[in-house]
Amino acid sequence: MKMKHTTLFTISIMVLMLLPLMSASQNTNETTQDTLVYKQNYGLRLGGDIGKLIRSFADKDYKGFEINGDYRFSKHVYLAGELGTEEKTIATDYLDVTASGSYFKVGFDYNAYTNWLDMQNMIYTGFRVGASTFSQTLNEYTVYDTNQAFFNNNYTIRPNEEFKGLSAIWAELIIGIKAEMLTNLFMGVNMQIKGRISQDEPVGFENLYIPGFNRTYDSGAIGIGFGYTLSYLIPIYKKDKKIVVETEKP
Amino acid sequence: MKAYNLFIACAIGIFCVLVWGCERDDICAEDTLTTPRLVIDFYDIANPDELKAVRRLRVIGLDDESMPVDTLSLEGVADPTRILLPLRFQEADTLTITRYLLEEDSDLTADDDPETNSNSDLIEIRYTPEFIYVSRACGYKSIFQFGFNGSVLRITDEDNWIISTEQLKQTIDNEDEAHYIIYH
Repeated sequence: MKMKHTTLFTISIMVLMLLPLMSASQNTNETTQDTLVYKQNYGLRLGGDIGKLIRSFADKDYKGFEINGDYRFSKHVYLAGELGTEEKTIATDYLDVTASGSYFKVGFDYNAYTNWLDMQNMIYTGFRVGASTFSQTLNEYTVYDTNQAFFNNNYTIRPNEEFKGLSAIWAELIIGIKAEMLTNLFMGVNMQIKGRISQDEPVGFENLYIPGFNRTYDSGAIGIGFGYTLSYLIPIYKKDKKIVVETEKP
Repeated sequence: MKAYNLFIACAIGIFCVLVWGCERDDICAEDTLTTPRLVIDFYDIANPDELKAVRRLRVIGLDDESMPVDTLSLEGVADPTRILLPLRFQEADTLTITRYLLEEDSDLTADDDPETNSNSDLIEIRYTPEFIYVSRACGYKSIFQFGFNGSVLRITDEDNWIISTEQLKQTIDNEDEAHYIIYH
């Protein structure tokens, strides 16, 4: 009795396993290759950083403006760059410093996203080299003294000292997306990891904020930035995008 | 394309390490060398190589009118061989004076015996503050130069327990070693 059940089970399993093979062998229609052609706009995409604009209104310690652009010159590769100015005040219990200056960044974006049909969205990584010239103003400082309470003196000094002619150069790695919201109008988000290559520091002080690079860290030459862009593609020429489609013969 | 995905994964990985691996550098660490105090060691005038504790020392800071401001905590040491004195400063590169009253045998003031009493000596510390940048979190510290005009002087009265002073350092920029010696 037991033996009979086992055999039945084995056979049914085998049939189950063979079923897909049989159905597959039935599907013997021949296919041919066909090519569809879509027109894609190539050109200059120009825009601005809306994140910096919004922050300029919301944050009294910050003023920033950036225009950015890219130019597509092959299927995946874009020449890209940014130009901007920033003013940022860093105020802690012991320091009040304003950095102000302008910067530019230039490099490439590589689009890794395979678009459907005629879409032109991007999921990209990029590389930039950035440079900034700026100044820092030491508005105010309070001398750090753990024994200050003993004589109860006020050690706040307002030197209003400006350190001019500072500069910095850095390299950036970018990850981001750009999506076409309306025809030729793109919105994008990106994140930048920066590595400082060189900087001019004031004598007896340091760069707390570098326009374009953002705040510095004591631990090293690394910086982080975020961008929220809105840009418009100015079509210059159209290029064919061929898509190979497999179709069934009737 | 696979290489590309790997690249993205690496970049995200690096970012995570950066964000969560960084130390906080917006808080001034306690072990950072900031504004130092003046370090004074007490030595025996009869045996100038030997430290000599001051019995029941009381240290009182004085203001510009030589009125007492506060009594300095000696961190539980009744008979110290070393004291660390906070210094006043208002402006950089300006000769500044801090006065302290050093009271020996301070316990004898309070007792009933009129024959014994404490002995207070006034010292005057002259120095020039200099403000130096430390870091984003700590801002600036002050160090102090004795220079030509700087010194620690005992003001003479009828009964001095401090016999003399000796300068060891030109600059007060840390609290590791004594800057001055008081012989008594």
